Amino acid sequence: MRPLLHIPDGFLAPQVALALWVATAVVIGIALRRIGQRGPAAASQTILMGLSGAFIFAAQMFNFPVAAGTSGHLLGGVLAGFLLGPWAGSVVMATVIGIQALLFQDGGLLALGANIFNMGVIGTLGGTLVARGIAATLGSARRATLLGVGVAAWLSVMAAAGFTTLQLGLSGTTDISIGLPAMLGTHALIGLGEALISVSAISFIAVSAPEIFAKSAPAAPTSPRRRVAAGLIITAATVSLASLFASTSPDGLEKVATDLGFIDTIQAAPFELFADYSIPGFSGAAGTALAGVIGILVVLLVIVLLNRLASARKSS
Amino acid sequence: MLQRSTQRDARGALVAALLTILGVALLPAGSYLVYALVWLAVATAGAASGYAPLTLARRGLIALPFTLAALPLIFMRGDELIWSGALGPAQLSISGVGLRVFLTAAMKSWISVQVGTILVRRYPIESIVGSLRALKLPDAIATGAGLTVRYVELLRGEASRMLRARSARSASPVGETRERIGGTFSWRAKVTGNLAGALFLRAYARAGRVEEAATARGASGSLSLGSLIQPDARLFIKVALAIGAFVAITAAGALLPRG
Repeated sequence: MRPLLHIPDGFLAPQVALALWVATAVVIGIALRRIGQRGPAAASQTILMGLSGAFIFAAQMFNFPVAAGTSGHLLGGVLAGFLLGPWAGSVVMATVIGIQALLFQDGGLLALGANIFNMGVIGTLGGTLVARGIAATLGSARRATLLGVGVAAWLSVMAAAGFTTLQLGLSGTTDISIGLPAMLGTHALIGLGEALISVSAISFIAVSAPEIFAKSAPAAPTSPRRRVAAGLIITAATVSLASLFASTSPDGLEKVATDLGFIDTIQAAPFELFADYSIPGFSGAAGTALAGVIGILVVLLVIVLLNRLASARKSS
Repeated sequence: MLQRSTQRDARGALVAALLTILGVALLPAGSYLVYALVWLAVATAGAASGYAPLTLARRGLIALPFTLAALPLIFMRGDELIWSGALGPAQLSISGVGLRVFLTAAMKSWISVQVGTILVRRYPIESIVGSLRALKLPDAIATGAGLTVRYVELLRGEASRMLRARSARSASPVGETRERIGGTFSWRAKVTGNLAGALFLRAYARAGRVEEAATARGASGSLSLGSLIQPDARLFIKVALAIGAFVAITAAGALLPRG
């Protein structure tokens, strides 16, 4: 099984492709500026980035059988971002994706901006920030770091697949309602392989070269407020993504009730805020995702209030 | 400064390739006659570069798996139905608009891949990187790309040797009771991750050696890797021809009949 993330030319509307070129150029420009600010260290960073690009190419040869006829292999965005830093990692992935397009025609030249945006910016920069966010939220222990890398690696593949489909949908070359579940469903498994390989690679480096791991790992845990904010963003992103898989079929009890003929005895709740996870004015997955995010905020609010109540009781 | 004698100025070819791909992308849906004409021109350019048209056409199919993304449009769009009927238990209909969008995307990607193929056939990747640097590609990316291209084969060789060693250590008896090579899914993923980690450490060590060598030779700051050494004297003529081709493709798309 091979990820379908390198969009060839001809699939994106020119205005979508050019807009994504501009967005990519801005982000990569910021990344280059951040790297340049490192002064004399920037030159050695550039050399490491070049060799890391070759490493990503070579590491993509590593595959392992997942099931009959399918195999998982590395994309490497979060791995590169974690080891080199999010900005340098995104530049490395941009370089790799560019060479893939030029040398192997794996992805188009006009669509190169979109491909770098999906895999280099969203997948690598975004993925690495998520990995670091999770690690910082959970306390930056090695296990927390590895968990962060794993979750971020999976999310990076899913997000890249989601953005790819959305861009194709905007260009009119796919039906989002069919393409999105199909792409996310396929890439959920590919993402699993990506997550497992990334975690194992980082774990190996942590044991074999702790000094490199120490340089890569996020700094001391951030403040509790920032941890909560990071956790909230990650949870909201996960819930929003998961809501795309929400089934419209009845749940187990409803199915049994329908089959046995007692579904009509159902009584409506005394009040309904978001019946069937839908928000007035929002239809389909957007409504479900928004309902999920509101649900998270309500749960968080309840936890905060209970925590305050417990603190007040304790102090009194 | 690390350079290769194979470096030639690919700026004109790069501009021509990008403008051709942009021109094809801008063509309206269903411009089959123009696609055919552009392909003839591309095939001619390919033949001039030593690529047989059929070989080039086959190479263009590399993007074929991606057409799966556009395939549902044929069956899901309800406009301009050209066929409707039952296929076994499923009720299917084929939309003329969906088919046109699908064929347009497939044709455009097929032609664009061939344009890219000819570019790489005519110019080695080092020349393209050098030309991109001459076209103001930022130094960090140009140097990084130059190093990536320079060391990719070395690291791929390392990866191949690691994979061979993994295969040698994962042998299992062949026969009716053949067991699965390796252990569980997570075990296989872990071993693959360990290989990737080990390869990164080798790349890291190599980067250190490259930096030491560059410093020993007096390099400071940029390595200027991937610089252009043979500027093309006919660059402006080539760029003008490329712009002319772009205008011709766009005009043909506007004037010639569509399906």
